[in-house]
Formats: sequence, structure tokens, C-alpha cells
Amino acid sequence: MTTRTVPSGRVAPDWLVQSEVGLCPCGCIGKRKKGSFLAKTLDGASHLLRQAMSSEDVAGQPGLLQRLDARVKLVTLVGLLVVAAFVRTIPVLIGVYALTIVLAWASRLSIAFFVKRVWLFVPIFTGIVVLPATLNLITPGTIVVPLGTWFGHQLGVTSEGLHGAAIIVMRVAVSISLVVLLTLTTPWNRLLAGLRALFVPKMFVLVLGMAYRYLFYLLGSVSDMYTARKSRTVRTDTEVASGRRFVAASAGALFGKAHAMSEEVYLAMVSRGYNGDTRTLRPARLSGLDGLWVAACLGLGLLVIGCDRAFG
Amino acid sequence: MHIPDGYLSPQTCAVMYGATVPFWVVAGRRVRKVVKNRYVPLLALGAAYCFLVMMFNVPIPDGTTAHAVGGVLVAVLLGPWAAVIAVSTALLIQAFFFGDGGVLAYGANCVNMAIVMPFVGYAVYRALARGTSLTSARRPLAAGFGAYVGINAAALCAAVEFGLQPDLFYKTSASGAKVPLYAPFHLSQTVPTMLLAHLLVAGVVDLVLTAGVVAYLQRANLPVLRINHDAVPETDADLPAPRKIGLRGALIGMVGTLLLVPLGLLASGTAFGEDGPRDLDLEKYGLRAVPAGLSKYSDWWSHSLLPGYDFKDGDHPSVGYYASALVGTILIAAVVIGSFKLAHALRRRDDAPDAPDALDEDRGAAVEQPAAAR
Repeated sequence: MTTRTVPSGRVAPDWLVQSEVGLCPCGCIGKRKKGSFLAKTLDGASHLLRQAMSSEDVAGQPGLLQRLDARVKLVTLVGLLVVAAFVRTIPVLIGVYALTIVLAWASRLSIAFFVKRVWLFVPIFTGIVVLPATLNLITPGTIVVPLGTWFGHQLGVTSEGLHGAAIIVMRVAVSISLVVLLTLTTPWNRLLAGLRALFVPKMFVLVLGMAYRYLFYLLGSVSDMYTARKSRTVRTDTEVASGRRFVAASAGALFGKAHAMSEEVYLAMVSRGYNGDTRTLRPARLSGLDGLWVAACLGLGLLVIGCDRAFG
Repeated sequence: MHIPDGYLSPQTCAVMYGATVPFWVVAGRRVRKVVKNRYVPLLALGAAYCFLVMMFNVPIPDGTTAHAVGGVLVAVLLGPWAAVIAVSTALLIQAFFFGDGGVLAYGANCVNMAIVMPFVGYAVYRALARGTSLTSARRPLAAGFGAYVGINAAALCAAVEFGLQPDLFYKTSASGAKVPLYAPFHLSQTVPTMLLAHLLVAGVVDLVLTAGVVAYLQRANLPVLRINHDAVPETDADLPAPRKIGLRGALIGMVGTLLLVPLGLLASGTAFGEDGPRDLDLEKYGLRAVPAGLSKYSDWWSHSLLPGYDFKDGDHPSVGYYASALVGTILIAAVVIGSFKLAHALRRRDDAPDAPDALDEDRGAAVEQPAAAR
């Protein structure tokens, strides 16, 4: 694994980081088109690259969380994730969510981006999934919003259903925020080194690091194949059958490339003295700030659990 | 199918992490033993491939597209144990880096997509592709069907994990009703919903992609298909002659089944729809009398030899049951053997003169060829 100095300034060009207005991922701007599979896969590829590059930029900013050791950050934020999973009252969950916003601010993340990233996803997926569960058919209880009768049975939204839905939506929001905080403020290679602190075997960390590296190499191949196909396509809508054949062939060709690459990588490793031993980055020494942060997180965890039990 | 954080209780997540650890350990050892030092780049590229396969949009009729999961595809290409590690790695990158699937729910996602899916799918693939050559047309279909079954098995697991939550983890509100703390739907709701979506759409997408990739590799890149199929003959001509199931094996199986006859005595009550008019619970069905047709036709044949699998007097029910089994077996054997004899006689009459010679030649060639190939 190579060490890479974290860039202090922004390296990704603006045109790459900014998403185009017409390509809003949620489809809220303009009419949603049934895009062709080519455009969708190409969009997915560029979105992946955009996300990876912009998060490397954010990870290079001088903020609170960026200054912490990756191992410490990983263990404490996963710990807070577990605490949040045990919380069963809404006010406490809202409190924890507010705290993640404060942390995002202290780490110089764009608050608008941070809030949007959570609240664009949560209402669309969790909200729609949980909505039917507020009905008395699924969660029985006191009906607060009657919706008439259905086959002679009372139908309506129950207070228990609303309560449960609010808990799960808030919990999902808090969990996503905590993971976003972790991944946006930690460069990938530091995060990998941090995984060693969670007793992940060296070999797995090495595979993970190389997988991430060659992911972008293979992504380039996919983009090339799809761009080539798109430039050869004249009609707007492609045939389903020939499209399927193309997808299968490109996925097969990609596997051939991946396998050939793995052979080359292996030979390159052997020629550089690889003998089956795996080494990872030597972890940096912990600073006083790390100790302070651990103490703060421990206190916070206990406070959250205490408040939760006090609220009921 | 990526479960985000917040849907499963931390207890469930812990159990799921516990369930995956032994699989990772065994997978790590087995893969290392098979491909030696080569395993690191092979698994790394396999994981990167697995990540990208999940990004491929497959066009389906109606102009929409859906993306595949590809767990079974990786299992067919690299073997199920390598697939465990490759899919787990891809899922970890997705969870940590792209927010697809939760960090606490990572164990559960691994059980569904990195363990259940490759193993179930691969077992189906192996069973269906058994005894075929590497270039046989049955292999892509077997791989595709394996992918279909595998993704549905994974969806079933996810549905069970979701469905257990409201019954296990809840708090009681002021009015005494249950407030679900995690995923709110019950098993009776999650299982049909998840399976419907996967049986109709996601499973078909995976089937199409997996079968397509295997067919493509058969045409264009056979050496790559060899990674996980090093002992499989390349063409149908290289296949060893199929082993005949001996008469002895068949007899052992049949006698074993016969010995299981007493199990039938343990059954109580009558099967639905098989009761006679006098056993009918009229009130249960809202009837006041036995329907006329039923009472007329239910008893028109009263000359059965062993009515109700028993002698007519009904004094020795067990002996009667055994006797019925014996008589039934002999009758069925007589019918089967008789029809075989008949079919044989008819065929012999059709192509009488040179049939035996051709048959012998065929068999001799099939036995000799694999030896020559070696």
C-alpha cells in the first residue's frame, strides 16, 4: 500500500464536483425520463468518481474530526452508532442529530450538503417504506387520524404507528450522519489503517485497499466501453434484447480484464519482493486531542443512554 | 437489498456479525490454500469487479432498467469461498464509502448477500450443470437459474431479519399498545413483499446478467472460465460415459422406502378434501345438509379390495396397512415393468436388424475417448 500525502487544497475540478442541474439524482428538477441503460451506467460511473474525489477534498480540510487519529475516530463513531441504535426516545435522537450537525460544522463540512445528503435519502427510502406501518392494520393502537372503514374494519393512522415511524426515521438519519462524518473526514488509506484497530486481519485490509485502488481502474474500463457504445448508438432508445447482450458481454469482458490485471499485479508484486507477507501503514502516534475526544465520546455515550432511560 | 442502519436492532446486528466470522475465517484459509500467494490480487480484483457489477444497469422490457447484485456470478467464476470474501469486501467499500448499506447492519448484509446468496446459488448451479462440459449450453442456464434462486434466498433472509424486529423489539405506549423500535413490519408482510419484488424483477435481472456473462465467456474467453472449473472437460465429446444407475442401487432405494411404511400409521385425522360425507363438519362450512351430488356419487364404487387401506372387517388395522402397502407396490411394479416390456417390444419391431450393433459401437467409443484425451 502506498502512502499518499493528503492535499491541503481542493484538487477536484469544479465541473466534476458540481452535479448538473438536469441530472439531479432525486429527479426533483424536471421530468424524470426513463433513461437508457447506457446513460444510467455512465451517470453511475461519473457519480462514483465525483463522490470519491469530493470526499478526498473534504478529508483534506483542516477541521476538528480531520485532526483526530483514524483509529480513534473509527472506534468512537462506531461506538456512537451502537449507542444511537439502543436509543428508544425521539427527543434524545433529535439531540444526537443536532450534535452531528455541530460536529460537521466544526469539521468545516458544508452544512447544506451534510443536511441534504441525509434528508434527501431518508424521506424517499425510509419514509415511503415506513409510511404504511403507521396504519392500524400493521401497528395496532389508538387511532388518531381515522381514514374510514375497510371491509367493515376501522382504518386509520395510530399514534403508536406514528411514534414508531418517527423513531426509525430519526434513527436512520442519525446513523447516516455519523457514517458520513466518519467517511468524509478520513482519507481512505487512513480509514484502512484504522480498520486494523478493529481486529480486521491484515490480509483483509490489504485486499480491501487494493480493491479500492483497482475499482477506479476498472471503472475507467467500464466508462470506455459504455462511452464507445453510446457514441455508436444513433437511436435514442436502444433495443432491450441487444442492450442485454451488450451488458452481459461488457460484464464478461470486464471480468477478463480484471483477471488479466490481477495476474499482472501479482507479477509486479513478486518482482518487487512480495513473498506472501502483508504489511500495512504504521499507525501514527496518538495526540492529546485524541484522548480528549475519547473521553468526550465516552461521557456523551453515557449521557445519551442516561437521558434515554430518564425519558422512558 | 442493502439494509441501512436503523432498521435492525443492535442485538440482531451482533448475531449477524457473529454468524459471518466463521465463514470469513474458513474462506480466508481455503482461498489461500487453493491459489497460494496469488490470492491477494485475485480477491482484490474480484471484489472491485463485484462492486462494479452491482452498478451495471440491465435493460428490462417497459424501458426501465434495474441493477444486478452478481453474488452468484462471482461464485460461479471464482468459487463460493472466494465469493464470500469478494462480496464482503465490495459491501464494506459500499457501506463505508458510498453510504450504501449500514455499518452496524454490515454483518446482516454479508449473511444475505455474501454467504447465503453465493452458496445457495452455487449449489443450484452445480446441481444443474452436473455432468455437462464447459462449453455446454446448459451451463449458462444453470448459472442464471442459480443466480435467480440465490437472490431470492438472500431476499428471504433479509425479509426474515426485518420481520422478526417488531415482535422482538418494542416498547409499550401509555395505552398499552406496542410501539415498534426498528423495522415495523411483521413476517407475514415482509416475506411476501420482498419475495414478490425479487421473484418478478430483481431475480430475473440477475438471471439474465449471470447467464449472459457465462455464455459470453464460453464464446470469447474460455481460459477465464477455467479458474473455477479446472477439471471439467471442454467439449461434450470429452465427457466420460454417463454411469448407469445399477439395478442394485434402485432396489436398495425401493426396499428402504418400503421399510418406511409404518410412518403412515402415525398420521392422524384425514386429509383436507378426502373425508366422506359422514365425516363432514356441516356447520363449519355453513351447510344444513350433505350436497346431493356428493351423497349420490361418494359411495357408487363399493367393491374396493382394501377400503381405507385396511381389510374389510377392520379387525387388524396395522396388518391391513402393511398388506395394502405390499399389494400396492406389487401392482405398481407390475404396471411399470409391463409398460417397459411393451415399449421395448414395440421398438424392437420398428428397427429390428442393426440396432444392437450400433448401440455397442457407441458405447465402446464413449468409454475409449476420455482415456485417449488424457
